[in-house]
Amino acid sequence: MIYKIIAKQAIEDLFKGLQENYDEVAGPRACGPAFVFDKLQHACELRLDYESTILPPTKYFLAPTERLMRFNRVTGESYDSEPVQTSRAIIGMHPCDINAVLLLDEIFLGDFIDPHYAAARKSTFIIGTSCMPTVGHICNAFGTDEIHRGFDLFLTDLDDRYLLSCRSVPALELVDKYLAASDPTAKDIDDFQERTKRFKDAFTFTPNMDQLPLLYGAKYNDEQLWKDVGDDCLCCGACAAVCPVCYCFDVCDKLDASGQTGLRYRSWDSCLKSEFAEVAHNHNFRPTRASRVRYRFYHKFVGNFSRQGKMLCVGCGRCMRACKVNITPARIIGALQQSQIDKEDATGDGIEKADDAE
Amino acid sequence: MSDFEHPASSLASDRPKVIVLSLASDFGCQVQLSNFPYLLESLSTIDLAYWQLVISADMPTDYDLAIIEGAVTTTKHLKLLKEVRKTAHTVIALGTCAAMGGIPALAGHGPSPEERLEDCARTVYGDYAARIAQNRIVPRPLTDVISVDYSIVGCPIDPEEFSSVLQYALLGVKERPEREPLCAQCKIIEAPCFYTVQKLAADDACQEENNKLSGLYRGSTDIPCLGLVTRTGCGALCISRGRPCTGCRGIAQDANLESARNFIREQGRSVEEFDRALAIYCSHSMNSAVLNDHSQVSG
Ligand code: SF4
Ligand code: SF4
Ligand code: SF4
Ligand code: SF4
Repeated sequence: MIYKIIAKQAIEDLFKGLQENYDEVAGPRACGPAFVFDKLQHACELRLDYESTILPPTKYFLAPTERLMRFNRVTGESYDSEPVQTSRAIIGMHPCDINAVLLLDEIFLGDFIDPHYAAARKSTFIIGTSCMPTVGHICNAFGTDEIHRGFDLFLTDLDDRYLLSCRSVPALELVDKYLAASDPTAKDIDDFQERTKRFKDAFTFTPNMDQLPLLYGAKYNDEQLWKDVGDDCLCCGACAAVCPVCYCFDVCDKLDASGQTGLRYRSWDSCLKSEFAEVAHNHNFRPTRASRVRYRFYHKFVGNFSRQGKMLCVGCGRCMRACKVNITPARIIGALQQSQIDKEDATGDGIEKADDAE
Repeated sequence: MSDFEHPASSLASDRPKVIVLSLASDFGCQVQLSNFPYLLESLSTIDLAYWQLVISADMPTDYDLAIIEGAVTTTKHLKLLKEVRKTAHTVIALGTCAAMGGIPALAGHGPSPEERLEDCARTVYGDYAARIAQNRIVPRPLTDVISVDYSIVGCPIDPEEFSSVLQYALLGVKERPEREPLCAQCKIIEAPCFYTVQKLAADDACQEENNKLSGLYRGSTDIPCLGLVTRTGCGALCISRGRPCTGCRGIAQDANLESARNFIREQGRSVEEFDRALAIYCSHSMNSAVLNDHSQVSG
């Protein structure tokens, strides 16, 4: 890692450098009362002060819908199966979202390499940026408030200047060519430390993560606990759509009007939909809303934890904004911890054994 | 027919004979068909024998595929449908009126549909009510009268969706209707939620930000967005144009009406108003027991 200091206004030079070197520059911009990651034409559209965006920037690696191939039903030929290659620089990713990319990497570049994800990942230059937690941000519980890899360049906001952390050769070349950068001074380091402290202190709430996977297993069959959330859930799937680490997709064929040729594409799916777990003969192994909500968080807190040693939540808070009935990681964790306390109060008993872990 | 079978084995002929007819509707879905840019390609796969809106010839007596728009509102419709079902190998319900009763079904909305229908007739025709449309019946979707193989919802329908469903029908492939409400799609187009926007608008700090909106999310937030419970699949079309969803695709199979109503109440809005808005397209399903069955399955 190489550290440099640039003035705030130098962002414009950085932006120019990105535009000259990449087909597209994407970053957060305002969209009414919200923010979205979008293609940017001018540095003035860039809003590095954004709190959160509706969709996460991971949409650039796993798109909401994506062509897998085209085919001819009559001749049996397939074509156009190559991933689209757009070289893109994403500027302004928060630590949670970069952590999300690292989690997705283990899934899409692990035992099986997904060619579309791999292509998008390879042609993307990532610039992270520091943030300040607001309501609903619980990345501190998952350790995703810090990031040390997964980016090319990282900008830490030091009020009138940025501290740059350069992790890759292209990042260094960019800094050399386009930016008037200096080495950090003792004051810069002090300010960085002060900012880090301010950041850590800004979290007003941290969920109690004690023994979460174990507790989940123990409460897996607690009908009342899951019925409460199941009764609330609107089954809309908005939470999974906005989640940077929900990665399930469906593969569908669509015939053209001629009936001869068609498109095979994938699109985001979600385990909250009743169709998700429906198999042959209309059997559904998660027929109720309660079982589906229970499963979603089980995958996040237990399933992925036993596979990757990491939970499939980066605490970004997007689902809290998207869910109209307040079904959030914090609520689930809170309910699990609370039922543990209730249980101890009632019986003085410890945790029961899980008998139905998926 | 068990659910495990295809709804229809594929149509016998290579270019099946197709008729398009209309019951009670404003012909909007037929107009949508004529707006389809790939209509000619679609037509090359069928033998279009009759299209009520554009062909003046008489309706033939034999055909393979019947595409029917509009709600059933007269005894004449009942007779026609029985005839069509006997003749056609495959029947497609075209549009919200045909598939779920739609707006016409409002004339039978409420606990006593017959009385309501007569009330409506008196309001519209006054003293003539007894003499006009004497063969009227409580409006209902095709599915209440005959078995339907494929349904295309939407007011009006999306021609692209029509084209896909037509291809399913020609191949005899089972269709896969969407079951979940619209909100996920609304997030995918990255529209801020109308309910949240309204809350933000009340907050002074956000006022300025809101004023910058090019008219998009303004002015319409007092109408409840029905995306909460409406079947997805339109790509959140209305929301992308700055208007709340009015529920034209019907109540989603997965929808949780009870929780949605609680949410509306918590927002300080009127549940009655929400239900009234929902009834515009969905009165028929709100009247029938169908919804209760679904909530059992998904509950
Ligand atoms: S579960 Fe919610 S908080 Fe966690 S990563 Fe997904 S959207 Fe963010
Ligand atoms: S948890 Fe919330 S956002 Fe997710 S499907 Fe249920 S109601 Fe929708
Ligand atoms: S309620 Fe309407 S505006 Fe809000 S997320 Fe759902 S579809 Fe979108
Ligand atoms: S947003 Fe709602 S009203 Fe508009 S087309 Fe879609 S389903 Fe119909």
